[in-house]
Amino acid sequence: MPVAKRTRRRAAGARAPKSLGTYLDRIRNDPAEFRTVSRTVNPLNFDVTGLLGVLNQRREYPTVQFNHPLDMRGRPSKFPIVTNLWGTRERCAEAIGLARSEAGVRLGSLLCERIDRKEKPVVIPGRSAPVQQNVLTGKKADMWMFPAVRHFEMDLGAVLTMGMIAKPPGQDFYNITFVKAFPETPQRAGLTVHTLHMSRILREWEARKQRCRVAYVLGHHPAFWLGTLNNTPWGDNEYATCGGFLKEPVRLAPSVTWGKEFLVPADAEIVMECEIIPGERTVVNPFGDISTQYQAQQLGPVMEVKAITYRDGALFQDIFSGHREHMLLGSIPREGTIYNHLRNKLGNVVAVHMPYSGCARFTAYISIKKVEEGQAKNTGLQALAHVPNLLSVVVVDENIDVFNEEQVMWAVNFQVDPARDISLISNMRPPSDPRALGSTRVIIDATRPTHIAFPTKLNVPQAAMDRVKLAEWLDPVKGGAR
Amino acid sequence: MTGMRLWWSTCPKCLKAFVVAWELRHAKYKLICPFCGHRYPPDQSAAIDERHAD
Repeated sequence: MPVAKRTRRRAAGARAPKSLGTYLDRIRNDPAEFRTVSRTVNPLNFDVTGLLGVLNQRREYPTVQFNHPLDMRGRPSKFPIVTNLWGTRERCAEAIGLARSEAGVRLGSLLCERIDRKEKPVVIPGRSAPVQQNVLTGKKADMWMFPAVRHFEMDLGAVLTMGMIAKPPGQDFYNITFVKAFPETPQRAGLTVHTLHMSRILREWEARKQRCRVAYVLGHHPAFWLGTLNNTPWGDNEYATCGGFLKEPVRLAPSVTWGKEFLVPADAEIVMECEIIPGERTVVNPFGDISTQYQAQQLGPVMEVKAITYRDGALFQDIFSGHREHMLLGSIPREGTIYNHLRNKLGNVVAVHMPYSGCARFTAYISIKKVEEGQAKNTGLQALAHVPNLLSVVVVDENIDVFNEEQVMWAVNFQVDPARDISLISNMRPPSDPRALGSTRVIIDATRPTHIAFPTKLNVPQAAMDRVKLAEWLDPVKGGAR
Repeated sequence: MTGMRLWWSTCPKCLKAFVVAWELRHAKYKLICPFCGHRYPPDQSAAIDERHAD
């Protein structure tokens, strides 16, 4: 099949639509935020995750661009790898146009406010779509030309870690979800799907014994992806939600394979137009996922590639699974979702944090303004019911900083009567991969008891600390060092 | 009880063990060893650990 080459022109002076490239242009001159690797790396031999692992041990989380990776056949790939895009809360804030100073407690809420600021997508012709500057169909549509990354020792192999777009049968909205794809052959990959909406879409197509059309997107502006991660209702057109996060309409183009019946993001780096075969399953996993455990080998649906399109100079995006960027990618929207839900239902929430120790998915620390007993358990129940896969909730008083795990664990160690304050909620939906709690959830009320005489936490008067000027009060050290 | 039931299969070729979902314990699919790529029926595992909390 021929490789079609398309051209584009933009009016002089017009601002480029947001893309992964325009975002990287903002951070590429800051070595704390962006680094490049120009030596040849083999992603199948852990060169990529090896480097990221070393940076992680040093507590450094820059976005990294590998300029010369090998593809799945061990040949030089034309696609540089970009990974660790969401490695810090500050970058997540900046990605959606907030200040770095807004990366703290309120970031989740600010993120959730974007959900309601939808921007209707606009459709442009395929000839104007950067992502269709290069079009491959038939045997040329070859997944093995990508520098797919094998992340961890027991992984089944290379895995594509980005997002998939699909529509349910008979309805006209698009759902966008992160889905792992395991390329088996150049045109065929097994999938693992973990979200309720995408699973429902696949089930509905399968019940009709029809192929589900999907676009697998390997790279877009980080705000586009942040727009896909929120707890929106069934029927939400996530292209419009992503536009709210981008602060501009998502530009869409008719797909090469299905035309206007299925629209693809025009400013993506790479789009694979694929079909999921009804009733067919293949072996996928193990894969080191968000719980930092390996997901077990299991059966997954099968995706068949129909076309691959990409922009000139396209970047291949990957996620360092089970590490900071993967954790922040999910935790920040969930923190906002929980905060907003509790604020609306109970009105006494102060702050919500999903700590790294709970892989930023499965545990929430919530502080409340407590005025009577029982409020902490109500808070925990509301949070557990609202967020899938949340397994444990620790509720503390407002004087505890939920972003300071030492303070939270102090409250657990000294204010919890295990017989009274730890509640087990059994027989709930188990998480999609195994963790020790299974179908049970835990609420820990670590607030200070108010129904009995109880000690209080020691406290140096703040006024006393405010009086201190260290440089004046501490005697100089011999030799001049302070 | 824990969540999804698991078992461990030891590859008959490279003798390394990996974790498998219970749905593949008696299914008509071959396992794929993540370490050496060998494909084999579950019952041909060099060792099987299917201990479970139940």
